[in-house]
Amino acid sequence: MVEPSAMLADPKGLIAIGAGIAVGLAGIGAGMGEQTIGAAAVGAMAEDEKFFGKGLLMTVIPESIAIFGLVVALILLFVF
Amino acid sequence: MGISDGFKYAYIVARVRAMKGKLIPKEMYPKFLNMEIPEITRFIGETEYKKNVDELSKKYSGTDLFEHALNENLALTYRKLLDVSQGEANFLITEYLHSWDIWNIKTILRGKFSGASEEEILEDVVSAGQLRYRDITEIVKIDSVEGVIAAFAGTPYYHVLQEYSGDLADIENKLDKMYYSSLLKAVSSTGNKLFLKYLRTEIDLINLKLLFRMKRGGMERDDILKMLIPGGFELKETDLNRLSSLSFDEFVRALEDYSYWKAISDVSEDLSSLFNVETRLDKYAQSYITSISYYYPLSILPVLAYIISKKIEIDNLRIVVRGKETALKEDIIKTHLVM
Repeated sequence: MVEPSAMLADPKGLIAIGAGIAVGLAGIGAGMGEQTIGAAAVGAMAEDEKFFGKGLLMTVIPESIAIFGLVVALILLFVF
Repeated sequence: MGISDGFKYAYIVARVRAMKGKLIPKEMYPKFLNMEIPEITRFIGETEYKKNVDELSKKYSGTDLFEHALNENLALTYRKLLDVSQGEANFLITEYLHSWDIWNIKTILRGKFSGASEEEILEDVVSAGQLRYRDITEIVKIDSVEGVIAAFAGTPYYHVLQEYSGDLADIENKLDKMYYSSLLKAVSSTGNKLFLKYLRTEIDLINLKLLFRMKRGGMERDDILKMLIPGGFELKETDLNRLSSLSFDEFVRALEDYSYWKAISDVSEDLSSLFNVETRLDKYAQSYITSISYYYPLSILPVLAYIISKKIEIDNLRIVVRGKETALKEDIIKTHLVM
């Protein structure tokens, strides 16, 4: 016979799952954005090397979304 | 348009936009008018045409060098687009550039028909389509029109060329119709509505040019209808039927009902030369494709806009140099430029 308290999930485990989803989905979203921008940046750079700096900057802009995901994950893990 | 569609075109569009930045700005053309041919050649030799001018300067000089350098550059630029594109973009560009095969076939046939030399024919050849320059140089060596047609056996153009019976205008028109019908079919198969819309507008503009010329020439309605290309966007079959049965003045007035009128309205009072109209229609095509390419930045449209702008640049340079060579007045050269 299982104790009723044991059937309740550990809240820490749920928080960890939430943090994982936050980082994971944010990463996928950032990757999808970077895919298009990266392809365009490489195209522009192939024509003119001067686009390297601008292309690199543009490519990493969606990376902020991944950082938002990371921040949410850290809040979940350390604040709650 | 989903993310995957955008991704497909991101690389080629960014590349083409960078290439577009290297085109000669339109402010340069009035300056060219004040330069002599060697100065223009020197200027061109310092731009994207450097490699072509350097390579060909051992073989040609003066306007011949200019002509060959422009044609070679155009062919290499279009070929580069084919090399750097893939998937649907590559398919659509390949299909669109078949027009240069048609151009080359027409050039060779016209040359052979009028007895032009091999060198004169090769001066106008642009090997931007599927026909390679070395194949064309072999075909140009053939003496007769019939021999040239036989050399195209096995190509998609042969069944149209076989219908040749001495009338060059007729076979040229059939080639154009074949090109546009197969292009419409190919583009429809990809479901790319943007390209289809532009293509049908392009057909309208060609039909308008044909109508202007044939109306001016006083041709009969049935003869005109035979020459027009089906598949237009605004000028549908009923419109073409109606327009071709009007007199020249009535035809010009009837065009007020179509959106193309705004492109030619300012020259509609003076139609002594059709060059004005044709230049404006070319300008309309360029500004139309450029404006819709901004609405759909990750599509085939920016690539098409570049293809058309590059062609116009080459044509403008050729007009300036040929005009200068024949000592035409600046005003006359200017009216022929698409700016």
